[in-house]
Amino acid sequence: MLPFSVNFRPGEPVYEQVTYAVKRAIATGQLAAGSRFPAVRTLSQELRINPNTAHKVVASLTAEGVLLVHPGIGTIVAPPAAGSAADRSALLNGELERLVVEARRLGLDEERVVAAVRGHWRKFQRIQ
Amino acid sequence: MNAIECEKLSRSFGRVPAVRELTLAVPEGSFFALLGPNGAGKSTLLKLLLNLLHPTGGVSRVLGHESTRLTASEFRRIGYVADGQDLPDWMTVAQLMEFCRPLYPTWDRALALRLQTMFDLPGDRPIKKLSRGMRMKAALLSSLAFRPELMVLDEPFGGLDPLVRDEFIQGLLELPGDDRPRTFIVSSHDIDEVERLADDVGFLAGGRLLVHESADSMRGRFRTVEIVGSRVAAPAARPAGWLEVRQPSENVLQLVHGAFSPATESELGGMFPGATVSLQAMTLSEIFLVLARQHRGDGGKEAA
Repeated sequence: MLPFSVNFRPGEPVYEQVTYAVKRAIATGQLAAGSRFPAVRTLSQELRINPNTAHKVVASLTAEGVLLVHPGIGTIVAPPAAGSAADRSALLNGELERLVVEARRLGLDEERVVAAVRGHWRKFQRIQ
Repeated sequence: MNAIECEKLSRSFGRVPAVRELTLAVPEGSFFALLGPNGAGKSTLLKLLLNLLHPTGGVSRVLGHESTRLTASEFRRIGYVADGQDLPDWMTVAQLMEFCRPLYPTWDRALALRLQTMFDLPGDRPIKKLSRGMRMKAALLSSLAFRPELMVLDEPFGGLDPLVRDEFIQGLLELPGDDRPRTFIVSSHDIDEVERLADDVGFLAGGRLLVHESADSMRGRFRTVEIVGSRVAAPAARPAGWLEVRQPSENVLQLVHGAFSPATESELGGMFPGATVSLQAMTLSEIFLVLARQHRGDGGKEAA
């Protein structure tokens, strides 16, 4: 059994879906900092995904600092760390702006968007 | 290195061409899904690769050897499982394993036993008494257990129920993960079965390879589009990438976009001011239906 689950949706790259599922599992506390992360082979077999894709997932999460590779021990979930200035700015200026643009296009008002953001924020806080 | 290479590979049966001047390279360690409608030439192509058929033109190489010159030592590194494949029906599964073992120096006994358990295959029952799914699993077991570097699977999932199919895929995934790259080429007329496994997909129709690209890039560039607004009409000159344009009513325009990019949404917004544009990702099987219809519709001249 994997310590997280993925509900595969059609049309989206498998690699992105798995990467997101891992980050979400960390946010919900399903995957605790310091716990062992499954090996590429296990990931591939349990999720029935291509081993190359599983490898890419682990490599990119490691590069982002979400996972840590300890030679001889294996891969573990990294403790939460402050992201780089560039990553933070990409989120606050890039993705958040995209969210606002979409919300305006759909005719949502500021209050509802802020309330929804707060709701999601608390959802993850509650679990931890 | 490429595990498979074809250069202008052709094969005709009498006057009927089954594979036409096909050029293809499948890199080592990748999972290649060969898709296409029935009669597209998929089985013929796989048989040409393994010298089960002779080409009428061109050349193919597998594991660096010309297909027409493959010898026993290469066949020990290649697994082949085909729908309706001949198996020695009078043997039991256990006998089949004992029969295959001395033929392959790389036979992995532990893996064979693990697969037998995973597949829930009774060792003592004659193969002729096995169900279709069990037979396919027995065939797969006898190919996987010698840890081939290249697995060639021709319509392996045809007629398998979802549980057996899942076991089959689990079995395939037992193979990679050691020191050597393992290459898979799997033909199917139904992509759903291998959607999560394929690195690259090729679409064969009328003996020609119409599309060959990574599964992710294909998923990335196709979207269904619906434009709803007052009197929306398709432009007279069809914009690049637009396929299957339909106008169910004067206020609705539907199409398949085959060249989607992050800019597409705003382009469409500019083209149809005031209209609501909704885009939806497509599964590979939906994409292949579109490609197959395209091919049929234009008499096989071009695809997306």
